[in-house]
Amino acid sequence: MTSPFDKMSEQLTRNLARFSSRRGFLSKLGLALLAAPAFPLLPVARTARAAEPNSVAAKTDFELHAQTTDDTKCNYWKYCGSDGVLCSCCGGGSHTCPPGAEPSPISWIGTCVNPEDGKAFVIAYRDCCGKPACAAGKSCWCDNTDREMPTYRSSLNNDIIWCFGNASATYHCSTAAMVGEAK
Amino acid sequence: MLSPRVNYLLNCGGCHGLTGTSNSRLVPDLKDHVGFFLNLPEGRRYLVRLPNVAFSMTTDEALTGLLNYVVFTLGGATVPKDTKPYTVSEVSELRRRPLTEVSLARTRQAMIQTLIDQYHATSDLRLYGATDQP
Repeated sequence: MTSPFDKMSEQLTRNLARFSSRRGFLSKLGLALLAAPAFPLLPVARTARAAEPNSVAAKTDFELHAQTTDDTKCNYWKYCGSDGVLCSCCGGGSHTCPPGAEPSPISWIGTCVNPEDGKAFVIAYRDCCGKPACAAGKSCWCDNTDREMPTYRSSLNNDIIWCFGNASATYHCSTAAMVGEAK
Repeated sequence: MLSPRVNYLLNCGGCHGLTGTSNSRLVPDLKDHVGFFLNLPEGRRYLVRLPNVAFSMTTDEALTGLLNYVVFTLGGATVPKDTKPYTVSEVSELRRRPLTEVSLARTRQAMIQTLIDQYHATSDLRLYGATDQP
């Protein structure tokens, strides 16, 4: 018989395996190697892009498919850097924690472009903590990577669970709060 | 060109908080604290030479604006009177000498001791790195 604790551990391990930076790093490394001949300055180009988020430079894959109406879908425009399960699928909102979960004071900050006006906005990605991982459907698990970088820039690695700054470091779900226009 | 505040948010705000405070024990408070360091010439240099500042993905010009935003806006009344803003040439020179040769924790500890003893800085500066519970 499996105890609830075992189930939770298994779920966490499975989620870790699915979403850990190992996979993310390898896929990005592979992509970087493939793309290297065509874009030899990719990391620099991304930095330049971050410095001018309002530029009309080529859109990211995410931006090509972003929408502004359904915040329970991974392609909702504010989620361009979201990595985790959406709180809007777990009884919370796109920028509010579900009841009983606490927002992390430490966050990951990026910019996303609103497809309606083409403007870039500063987004603070906060994890909601203190409850076991939310059991939402697969479509609520996002792995978006705009402005994210793997471990060589740890402050720009969105695989980190930001709950380490909370009283309880248990991860429940992820939010994306708009801070203001990036200008 | 982004505003100093947006550069702060993108490069520092995730950990230090949108307004300069997050978890005081894990991340040093900037709001109403950071200005105390400008009492000491080595404190002024320290803020630029901190590795995460020195190595940040910013141009010298953007980093200068960012630092002045952090010191004068977030630091508020803790900045000593007559403090001059950082200049681009000053920041450019300092960030090329990141503090990699010393223990950051001990360097900060020695500096805040002086600031608390001699410059009436708040003892809250000791919260960062404190392991005891509140």
